[in-house]
Amino acid sequence: MVASAPPWAVVLVPVILAGFAFAAAAADGIFTARAAGVRLTGAVAAAPLAEVARLLAGQRRATPAADRVLWRSGLIAVPVAAALAAVVIPFGSVTVSRMSVGVVWFNAMEVLTWAAVWMAGWGANATLGLVGGYRFVAQGLAYQLPLMFALICAAAGAQSLNVAQVVTAQAHLWFAVWMPAAFAVYLAAVYAFSFLGPFSYPAGRDLAGGVMAELSGPDRLMLQAGRWLLLTAGAGMAVPLFLGGGAGPLLPTWVWSAVKTLAVLAVLVWARRRLPTIRADRYAEVAWVVLIPLTIVQALVVSLVVLTRGGVPL
Amino acid sequence: MGLTQALLRVGAARPHVMIASVPGGTEVRLAAEAELRRRGWPAAPSPADADVLLIAGNVPGELDDPVAEVWRAVPAPRARTQAVSPDEVPAALDRARSLAGDLSRQRAALPVPGDPPDEGEGPQAGGGPGHKNGGPGGMQMPGGMDMAGGMGMAGEMGMAGGLRVASRGEDRDGLKLDQLHVPLGPFLPDWPAGLVVRVTLQGDVIQHATAGFVGVTGEGRPYWYEPWLRAAGERADVGEAARRRTAAYLDSLGRFLAVAGWDLAAVTARRLRDESLANAPEATLGPAVRKFARRVCRSRVLAWATRGLGVLSPAEAVAAGVGGPALRAGGDVCTRYRQWCAEVAEAAAVFADRSPADPGLLEGPRGPLDGRAAPSAGLVAVLPGLLAGAEFAAARLIIASLDPDADELAPAGVGAGHGG
Repeated sequence: MVASAPPWAVVLVPVILAGFAFAAAAADGIFTARAAGVRLTGAVAAAPLAEVARLLAGQRRATPAADRVLWRSGLIAVPVAAALAAVVIPFGSVTVSRMSVGVVWFNAMEVLTWAAVWMAGWGANATLGLVGGYRFVAQGLAYQLPLMFALICAAAGAQSLNVAQVVTAQAHLWFAVWMPAAFAVYLAAVYAFSFLGPFSYPAGRDLAGGVMAELSGPDRLMLQAGRWLLLTAGAGMAVPLFLGGGAGPLLPTWVWSAVKTLAVLAVLVWARRRLPTIRADRYAEVAWVVLIPLTIVQALVVSLVVLTRGGVPL
Repeated sequence: MGLTQALLRVGAARPHVMIASVPGGTEVRLAAEAELRRRGWPAAPSPADADVLLIAGNVPGELDDPVAEVWRAVPAPRARTQAVSPDEVPAALDRARSLAGDLSRQRAALPVPGDPPDEGEGPQAGGGPGHKNGGPGGMQMPGGMDMAGGMGMAGEMGMAGGLRVASRGEDRDGLKLDQLHVPLGPFLPDWPAGLVVRVTLQGDVIQHATAGFVGVTGEGRPYWYEPWLRAAGERADVGEAARRRTAAYLDSLGRFLAVAGWDLAAVTARRLRDESLANAPEATLGPAVRKFARRVCRSRVLAWATRGLGVLSPAEAVAAGVGGPALRAGGDVCTRYRQWCAEVAEAAAVFADRSPADPGLLEGPRGPLDGRAAPSAGLVAVLPGLLAGAEFAAARLIIASLDPDADELAPAGVGAGHGG
């Protein structure tokens, strides 16, 4: 059973999230160094910390006729959305918010990034940033509906939008096992809303960084950290939604939550350099023609199983 | 030690470097890229992310203003440095790093508030070009690009915030959309040195494009052509020519794969390129190159992302004077990078061949050197036609799949033989 954490625990959410995000970024640096044939040292693993120092000491770039309010609010909204999305993720057997519509809350916070990234792109008043911001919206049109159907699959399987209920419903069998299509679509969407890996189109190197192109110093830190926090929140949410939450033998539940989150993060980080960027115009085709029907069929199967057997398919 | 100094010191341990490569600077750029890879210093995708601006090669007068413009877009703490020969690269980078981490020198270099911005401020670790104030139509980089359109201020045509507001025109769907005139290059990441493509954008669709090289002085050595130029006089062997060709295609593939966002493959291409040029033993290098070429060639995702883009039929290619792999591929972006992969795998099989190269049978990596127009002139000539109607991402892929080389246009090089 998942219990409520005391209210003050809300301040721990960004701290824990940042801890996992640092681990992910460090692993990413190690994978990068290995590919480049560089010797692995402590400095390679600590590179994300050095990067934070570099950006904190950096000068903020100003562009002519920028819309500063829009620009900065967009930048701040990205990490804030990631932290807010994470308040419904149970860590072991405690959760900060046991709200009855946790799944919808997570989705809503992630949709905040649509506005945030677009604002960050528009506000700089520069071509490449603007194109990058619109790329995120185009990408959103492609990934969002399949993601929502994937979330509906998990919610339907548990007959509840409460994340704790979703965990309880997986006591016998993980949703990842009998909803593989929904799980795969969810993982792809995690890349998409954090615009990393094959979905880094809005911040593509072809656009000299796209939404990131004009950012320096603390502004850049905000958006870059936001991306990694979103990836971490997405990986963290995969655990209660599809991987049975904190359930597991021998070890305490919080350890299982951490281990499963790190495992999902490791897969996402490892795979992120192994695929070319998928352009939104091509992905939209696949998303609407293949993934939406696929996830709808998945949701139908889940619904039929729940109706006939009252729960898991066993 | 104050907090700022501490942050600066830690941050400068691993500075992000933007390499400004100029025509004739290929050899320096290669040395710089290899050095950055060995040190694990990231390559900055835009001036905003750079701490160090490394100018690779001698800056021709025509590129002084664009270099100054890039430098103005680099935020403090920053350091500008230059290397004009491959041996100078490590020292230039060391100088730049100590400068970027030195608070007092950074403070001293900050502009006085109220002063007009000028590139002369800011620390320099090495020679830099002079600066003449570039007009509003000057060469622009992502930083400081004059994006004045799309603001939806129909009633205020003219100026906004000191910038011209975009004009409007019909777009392909029959809508009236803002037109932006954006120069791409000469300094973009993973972009051919000296290339400038001026595009008219509506949204992210290119309506019109013109392309050309700037800063070609004729003094640069066409680096990729050395063994062929030498074969005309002295003896170069088949294996050496094959290594250079492999490295040239791996360099092009590295750029292309980086533009395509396939980071791991791009890093591998560049590592193999450097090993090929450093005369790594063929017993390990040959199989590694063939394995890499096979993997890129077989990637379904990459093929799916590039199919149908920038179709250049053999007839059009011949008419424009395009030779080499772009002609042999005779198709879209996908067939062109697969052609590179196939030719790289082929060349990797003859690394050990020590027989003398026959100048009559050999051709450079981008086409035959027969004294007529350089193959890259043809590659640039077909760009406007291929880019019109393409989306921004597609345009970058098309340009990267042709990868014209400014060094070929150096009159002293192609066709005339190289005197050393």
